[in-house]
Amino acid sequence: MNQHADPKPLLQIKDLSVSFPGASGRRTQAADGVHLTLYPRQTLAVVGESGSGKSVSAMSILQLIPTPPGRYDKGEILWHADESSVDLLRRSEKQMQAIRGNQIAMIFQEPMTSLNPVYTIGQQIMEAVLLHQQVNQQQAVEIATSALRDVGIADPSSRLKEYPHQLSGGMRQRVMIAMALACQPELLLADEPTTALDVTIQAQILELLRKLQREKNMSILLITHDLGVVAENADVVAVMFAGRIVEYASVQDVFQRPMHPYTRGLLRSMPVLGRHVDRLDTVMDGATVPEDFPAGYSVAPHDPDPLRVGRYGGPNAKLHEVAPRHWVLCTAETDDAKKTATVPELAYRRASAIAVTS
Amino acid sequence: MTEPRPAESRGGVSAGATPAAASTPLRSSALGRVGLWMLGQWGARIGMGWVLALLLMAVFAPVVASSHPYVWKVDGRVGSPWVEHLTAADVVLLGSFLVAVVLVLWRRASGAWRLQAWLWITAAITATAAARALPVLWAQRELGQLPLVFLMTAAMLLSLLFVLVVVPWWSSASVRAWSGTAAVGLVLCGAFWAADVRPPANIVYSAYREATAAEKVEWQLLPPLAYSPSDYQRDRMSAEGVDPRVLPPSLRHPFGTDESGADVLSRMIHASRIALAIGLIATGIAVLIGIVVGGLMGYFAGWVDLLGMRIVEVFSAIPVIFLLIMIVAFYGRNLYLMMVIIGITGWVGYATFIRAEFLKLRKMDFVQAAHACGTPLRSVLFRHMLPNGVTPVLVLASFGIAQAILIESTLSFLGLGLVEEPSWGQLLNQSRSAAGQWGLTIFPGLAIFLTVFAYNLVGEALRDALDPRVASSDDS
Repeated sequence: MNQHADPKPLLQIKDLSVSFPGASGRRTQAADGVHLTLYPRQTLAVVGESGSGKSVSAMSILQLIPTPPGRYDKGEILWHADESSVDLLRRSEKQMQAIRGNQIAMIFQEPMTSLNPVYTIGQQIMEAVLLHQQVNQQQAVEIATSALRDVGIADPSSRLKEYPHQLSGGMRQRVMIAMALACQPELLLADEPTTALDVTIQAQILELLRKLQREKNMSILLITHDLGVVAENADVVAVMFAGRIVEYASVQDVFQRPMHPYTRGLLRSMPVLGRHVDRLDTVMDGATVPEDFPAGYSVAPHDPDPLRVGRYGGPNAKLHEVAPRHWVLCTAETDDAKKTATVPELAYRRASAIAVTS
Repeated sequence: MTEPRPAESRGGVSAGATPAAASTPLRSSALGRVGLWMLGQWGARIGMGWVLALLLMAVFAPVVASSHPYVWKVDGRVGSPWVEHLTAADVVLLGSFLVAVVLVLWRRASGAWRLQAWLWITAAITATAAARALPVLWAQRELGQLPLVFLMTAAMLLSLLFVLVVVPWWSSASVRAWSGTAAVGLVLCGAFWAADVRPPANIVYSAYREATAAEKVEWQLLPPLAYSPSDYQRDRMSAEGVDPRVLPPSLRHPFGTDESGADVLSRMIHASRIALAIGLIATGIAVLIGIVVGGLMGYFAGWVDLLGMRIVEVFSAIPVIFLLIMIVAFYGRNLYLMMVIIGITGWVGYATFIRAEFLKLRKMDFVQAAHACGTPLRSVLFRHMLPNGVTPVLVLASFGIAQAILIESTLSFLGLGLVEEPSWGQLLNQSRSAAGQWGLTIFPGLAIFLTVFAYNLVGEALRDALDPRVASSDDS
């Protein structure tokens, strides 16, 4: 267990800001000082509503934001965050191509449209393999076949010759995962991988991702707005709103002791099975400041319009470690409190995950 | 719009498409589905039938119409003047047709793969022919006239590149299949090089008739139409006392003769090569430029798009016919220059189509996914986006081919086209001064009309096949 005690982060996003041109010449801050740290074999869930900057942060890792119109304002993304680390934002397009799909792979939300309709799935998986690995055609076919077998597709060698429109949504998402994992990446960016699927398929896909994570020792950056998915899969949770991270803690801490009004509102608005209510709560209904919020910090009440106070939480709000291993976006009022504005780093992994790998 | 559908359902079902579809699950891409749908359309069938007939005519022109006997025995020796007078272009066309027939009959490989193998072999033979012809032409200082072989090579290689990019089967072929293709291609090219096809520089067509009249020929096998397109029958005046020029249609000359005494039918058959070549090469050049420019415009958008659209506007303001007349005035009559000019002025339509498609496609998830896989940009553009956006261009291209044929005919009719080589427009031009030879007016005119009509039919059927509303009603 000792090697887990102080591992080196695999990926560290520091103070990342990405903006797009908005109405009346002002640039919209899609990501605003985002900090994320991901450790090997960890699952980090980024939760938030649409437009909160989840996908933008993830796509910045692979430099997939089109520039222009987008722009990386500041920040750095450290890959293999140790002495020999490299900043992914400063890498050339050619260097990025060697990383995309090979070391960091990505799967998308919409399995219906994320496979190219004119190629067979075999050709698409093999393209990724041939791009990054020194193998010949026959070996590529074998890798593609075993990749499909890994994601639980029956009769993979004949499936290879099928076109995407012949597969169901769940099958296509499995194919996407097979494509992403064919090159054995260290990090998988899963951008709402189950949003477009129905519930039973969703459970299967998540179970599959967990199994593959254990087998292949990879980290997952899971982007979702489904809190149920977070509770089941994540080790660490980052809650985002209006381009900023508002809360960052282990999955237990976030669900049992939510500190930020927005997180509290988010959790309150989750419908509970079996409880009859006339009207479901909205985020605003539950967005209350906790009574036991630590002294020395002041947290802004949740405001659905982040522009009213400049940026969300105001310009002085920073991520503070208000409780041990629990970061919240708030304003520090005492000098002692100001010292706790640190980059969140949490190597936590849930017990079940560690028990299997070690 | 609604008319062809009942005909389609009747024709398509009875044509046996349904049993095949029922027995084997349709494992086809979108393009394959469009092809099947088109086969059920009467308009498309007629159009494609005529184009196919033209194609056969172009390939077999020397077989059908030639003054040279296939085989004959003269002075006790058996010989084949026909084989001796084959040009390199004839051999390339016949050879690639033969390879095509063999590949069609060889059913063990997939259709896509066979098409690709055929393209490779044809391109290799053409390149060999060009390489063989080049030193000779260089020695004769004829390079200034841009010989047909050379241009055909360029066009073939360009279209090959195009097809390789558009139709992506790279990954499906195995090493054995590739090496097999390469071996066959090498053998054919080697044989072609060794044979050194080179017809005699001066051909005396009347020699055959004179030899026959002098009873030197023991026996001979003549082509069905025993007149070459440049056989002006100079011996006929002295031998028969008949002026061979502008004769009306007769049994001997089914379409009559033109004002220099050549057989009109023979000239028309040989002219089908030019009609096909001008349409395909000019449109091929235009489509290539259009795809590259339009693709970059659509993908990068922003200022690239802005700049590209201005260039498109400049080019769409060029009057092609006047430009061509001017070029003819400066550089003389040159068919190949004509093809190039039509090509580099006609790409704007294709560019705007591809631009619109790419603007839509660049936001699609599978393009994002391709990026996220580390696919290089050129691969994303031409392997992932182009096959999804190329279909409207195919429709436009079939109309463009018809347009190019019309332009060439117009120029030839105005007397600005080819002189020595046969072309339909040039025959039509002669009919103005050939009173009484009605065959010179009707048949070339009909050929131009039918060809343009056929390409338009194909284009229209393609357009209908790609129309999502038609496609969805077809599914239900």
